Amino acid sequence: MSFASLLSEYSTHPNIWDEMCLKGEIRSHYKVFFETLSQISPEDLVKKDELAKKLFMSQGITFTVYSDGEGIEKIFPFDIIPRIITAAEWTQIDSGIKQRIKALNIFLRDIYHDQFIIKDGVIPAGLIHSCPNFLREMVGVDVPFDIYTHISGIDLIRDSDGSFYVLEDNLRTPSGVSYMLENRSMTYRIFPGILPKSNVRSVKDYPDLLLKNLLSLSNRQKSEPTVVLLTPGIYNSAYFEHTTLARLMGIELVEGRDLVVDNAKVYMKTTAGLKQVDVIYRRVDDEFIDPLIFNPNSILGVSGLYYAYRKGNVAIVNAPGNGVADDKAVYPFVPHMIKYYLNEEPILKTVPTYGMDDPEHFQHVFSNISRMVIKKTNESGGYGMLMGHAVTEKEVNQYRKEVEKNPRHFIAQPIISLSSVPCFINNKIQPRHVDLRPFALNGPQGIEIVPGGLTRVALREGSLVVNSSQGGGSKDTWIVG
Amino acid sequence: MLSRVADAVFWMARYMERTDNILRALRTNYIASQDEIQNFDWHLWVEGLGPEGYVSESNPTYREALHHLLLNKENNTSLLINVARARENARSVQDYITKEVWQCINDYYHLIRDPHTEQLLLANDPVTAFDNLLRESTLFYGTVDITMNRGEGYSFLNIGKYIERLLRSLDILELKIKELESGGIEVTQWKYLLYSLSGYEFHTKYYRNVLSTENVFHQVILNAQFPHSALYCLSQVDRYFKRLDAISVPEHFKEMEFLLGKALSNLRYGGHEQKNLEQVKSLVLRTKIEIKDLGHKLASLYFGYS
Repeated sequence: MSFASLLSEYSTHPNIWDEMCLKGEIRSHYKVFFETLSQISPEDLVKKDELAKKLFMSQGITFTVYSDGEGIEKIFPFDIIPRIITAAEWTQIDSGIKQRIKALNIFLRDIYHDQFIIKDGVIPAGLIHSCPNFLREMVGVDVPFDIYTHISGIDLIRDSDGSFYVLEDNLRTPSGVSYMLENRSMTYRIFPGILPKSNVRSVKDYPDLLLKNLLSLSNRQKSEPTVVLLTPGIYNSAYFEHTTLARLMGIELVEGRDLVVDNAKVYMKTTAGLKQVDVIYRRVDDEFIDPLIFNPNSILGVSGLYYAYRKGNVAIVNAPGNGVADDKAVYPFVPHMIKYYLNEEPILKTVPTYGMDDPEHFQHVFSNISRMVIKKTNESGGYGMLMGHAVTEKEVNQYRKEVEKNPRHFIAQPIISLSSVPCFINNKIQPRHVDLRPFALNGPQGIEIVPGGLTRVALREGSLVVNSSQGGGSKDTWIVG
Repeated sequence: MLSRVADAVFWMARYMERTDNILRALRTNYIASQDEIQNFDWHLWVEGLGPEGYVSESNPTYREALHHLLLNKENNTSLLINVARARENARSVQDYITKEVWQCINDYYHLIRDPHTEQLLLANDPVTAFDNLLRESTLFYGTVDITMNRGEGYSFLNIGKYIERLLRSLDILELKIKELESGGIEVTQWKYLLYSLSGYEFHTKYYRNVLSTENVFHQVILNAQFPHSALYCLSQVDRYFKRLDAISVPEHFKEMEFLLGKALSNLRYGGHEQKNLEQVKSLVLRTKIEIKDLGHKLASLYFGYS
């Protein structure tokens, strides 16, 4: 098998932006990589693919699926061909995300204090107060440095003209950053020598930047504040990420049962007795962090934690209550927030979004259902979605009934085709659809984004759903130049 | 360090040590059963290494016994379950132990679950399977030694390791006494006891005579140079525990120190009076009880089980 035949099945669609090819020609920023690739025989490429799988397995970068009482180790699928983004494109992404995070952060501060944005009629009050993730408990609470969105993962997609759209803002506990780091380490094992040659920007700084921000949030006058990462435990599918981040930052990885609150201060149980905790980077959802305030059945959280937080004795990252800002029904208002708070034009585009509680929208969406996707406002992971182009009439009608029951909990968007990139699948290089999730860190010194992110791939041919729970995989993401 | 982490590191080390000790014993006795000892009683081993009070119904063949002891998922004390538990513990403290140690245990886990291992054991040469597994085990010790920092966690790891080794040495001694009582030949039994504990060559050098019961007991219980002797293991537990002085709550430290000192003295000075099987059996029993109490105390004072 020759290299040409490897590429023979690479057919791009005229209405889809292909990131490697333009009218049958390879774009200039993919050329260096492709020259290297063309010197590797297809058989060796297959071996490299196997090597990647073996490395993930042996490093335990896996999640466990339990069936018949026995755990089976699975790896998140990884595609060996990196996705390449130019410096110019990155500049736009970088400034666009920073602008967005800035506005969203001010919005959170505003919505939990004076609510100017509602009083000025920019956002309807009903929309906010009907949002299940608007936490009344956060109203009037001052958070350190007024920062709510310490860590965010902004999902970007590219439409057929190549322009970037924001699809979702993940401001609660976004995951995937460990895969950004691991995928990079995989690349230099699979393609030795290629990273320096291609002038790829490094993503290695992420843990240092995050730790610097976490340390600066401590309220105590202390040279070495205690920072911990709170995980739901080893059965969580993102547990690997929690251990990786804790290890890279050199902080304790704790579970809810390791912490205890006394006199509005949080302590961890150590072999030498109790030790006070200053900052908690929690990977546990709002609902579970404190059984006294939120879900009383939670055993993942710590009783009294929220009280200690309100007293200012411990910082929680990200701030509770962020869900009101990444609610899918609030999403169409983000451009308005940018104008209202920053007096700037949005740099990144937003997908047109129809709130289903508006009868006109409802009518419009269901008469054009084949071009629409309907989503639940508070689901993520690709659950509870209806992709209008790939369903039967019966399914549409069923879903319609669901929407009618509680229209506030649904939004609709026109289906965006998502750009495609080359992937090595079944020993052939084939195009697949991708999105991009860069990770933004917001600290007292400003917002920083490491040049890169997580590229998620819809591995099934033609599929537009990239979520790992729905058969998606990931790729290394290069920012070159 | 976090109490939960100390606890998990302690148990990780115990499960790894247990697996290693049992593997060595099984390897030795499997070879004995193929050659020197006719009618090897696998029944005794399946019950001796099973959960306390476990009774097996039939007299298993060597392949059945090996499969049951190594790979049977239904058997709560099989080595596969041991390794899985070591890995679960390691996983829960993945950020504390080094990446190398984690990968080592993870590889071990994948190896013992590999169908090839089962195939070797059931249809091919079991010694190859033992050797493959033991290589992983040895890698673990080396990796711990080279990569782990010598802080608190390292002490808990070693306390776990030596408590476990002590208990396993005594278990294997008990098993051999049982075999002897059901009609084994003394010299042969003692030889395979020492082989199981990797101590036969040392015995010939140190005691310079044919295997006498008295010398074998001395080596397994009291010899301070023999890394599998009860006294050596307990001294190591004591040594690593003393390193915790600086970080301990003083009362907790004193309480443990007392119990350890007492157990050490009982072993050191009581061990010399043991001349016959009955006396040794009662010493083994008493030591095991003392070690169990020690373990409970450690758990309640240092791991937060109250």
